Amino acid sequence: MKWLVTLWQTLNTPAKYLTLGSISLTAFIMGIIFWGGFNTAIQATNTEEFCIGCHSMESKPYKELQETVHWSNHSGVRATCPDCHVPHNWSRKIARKMEASSDVWGWFFNTVNTDEKYEDKRLEMASREWGRFDRDDSLACKNCHNYDSMKWDEMSKLAQKQMKRAAEKDQSCVDCHKGIAHTLPDMGTARAPELIAEVGTGPSKFTNEQNYFSALTKPLFFSSNGDVEAGTLNVATKVKVLETKDNRVKIAIEGWRKKMGAGRVIYYDFGINMLTAQLSKDAAKTEGVINAFEEKEDDMTGLKWQRVESQLWTDAEYLITEQQPLWDYARDTFRSSCSVCHTQPDEAHFDANTWPGMFQGMIAFVNMDQDTQALVQKYLQQHSSTFVKEKH
Amino acid sequence: MTAKQVKKEENKKSKFKELRALGFIIVVLFPVLSIFAIGGYGLIIWLIQAFGGVVAH
Repeated sequence: MKWLVTLWQTLNTPAKYLTLGSISLTAFIMGIIFWGGFNTAIQATNTEEFCIGCHSMESKPYKELQETVHWSNHSGVRATCPDCHVPHNWSRKIARKMEASSDVWGWFFNTVNTDEKYEDKRLEMASREWGRFDRDDSLACKNCHNYDSMKWDEMSKLAQKQMKRAAEKDQSCVDCHKGIAHTLPDMGTARAPELIAEVGTGPSKFTNEQNYFSALTKPLFFSSNGDVEAGTLNVATKVKVLETKDNRVKIAIEGWRKKMGAGRVIYYDFGINMLTAQLSKDAAKTEGVINAFEEKEDDMTGLKWQRVESQLWTDAEYLITEQQPLWDYARDTFRSSCSVCHTQPDEAHFDANTWPGMFQGMIAFVNMDQDTQALVQKYLQQHSSTFVKEKH
Repeated sequence: MTAKQVKKEENKKSKFKELRALGFIIVVLFPVLSIFAIGGYGLIIWLIQAFGGVVAH
């Protein structure tokens, strides 16, 4: 402690021996040395060699990049890690460096040191990076790419249309171009976590003879405890609970089926291709699983339809009491996903039998898991011109 | 030891003290402070971005 006091005393009195000139000269020179050194050090952390110094960076994202056009192309320009992942502006670069210091923890605690751990975290890491691109309208891309420099004539008609619209809005590139430099995270396997967060998993106790709605696509079973699947129940489908046993409920599914083949697909209503449930061949053939009622012929197709009711078991979860939350979630998803690239058509612009074709044609352009896909398609059908009569 | 010699000795001592203080400040203290200041500046920008969204660029 004494040295600190001595130091303070020395610093607090005018210099007796050092001249003002020598003090300011040393300070000036040290300033230059420090600033040069600092920026050289920052620059050193902004190189590819530095980035792939960690095994997890070298083995996954760097290898993936080498398969893409950002690695080698006609013009011989290569994008290295910091070109896209570190802002070029000095202040923001420093901020990014501070943020990236948390990666040191990841390295220290082996957060993504194996292939498996990396894949588990891929969606989280990618989402963070997409968020960063979102915030500044993909400035990292636009440091090299420019809407004004695009050769429109050489693009396909479809590309021209999409690109020109994007150029007008100065749209963020990663809105559409995700997974172009590294592998796209698998977003189809996790079962719609956002949807379930919104609508819940359903009640823990069910009332017999009351209607419920499926919040996910659910497997159907022959009995209350067997493992043999009898088919799947589509999302957002109305079912009546008949009884509860073990961890399953017996449900009644109503609808219409086409009288052809095994007739194992149950639709929402006569002449409407809106999925309610798909039974396995065995289930459709099993006595008592499907009860058939009156028949009607569809004039348009000449097909005979038959009203049916099926009774099967399903797990006592993801059955919710109201349908509206499902539609609310589907509407938001439809509006946000589709409007990224184009003005989405009105729900009632097509009829219930046209929507599936339209929707399936576009689904490749967005990242939507299977359950959400099925839900949005059903939402569109249910709110199509078939049911909303006042429009079209 | 004469009084003159004592004074000389003290002068030598305080000259060393001054040099040491200057060296400490410009080689250790100020660089460290600067790095903290720049780091803090970066941290603030990062936080503004994280909570405030878009920044001018």
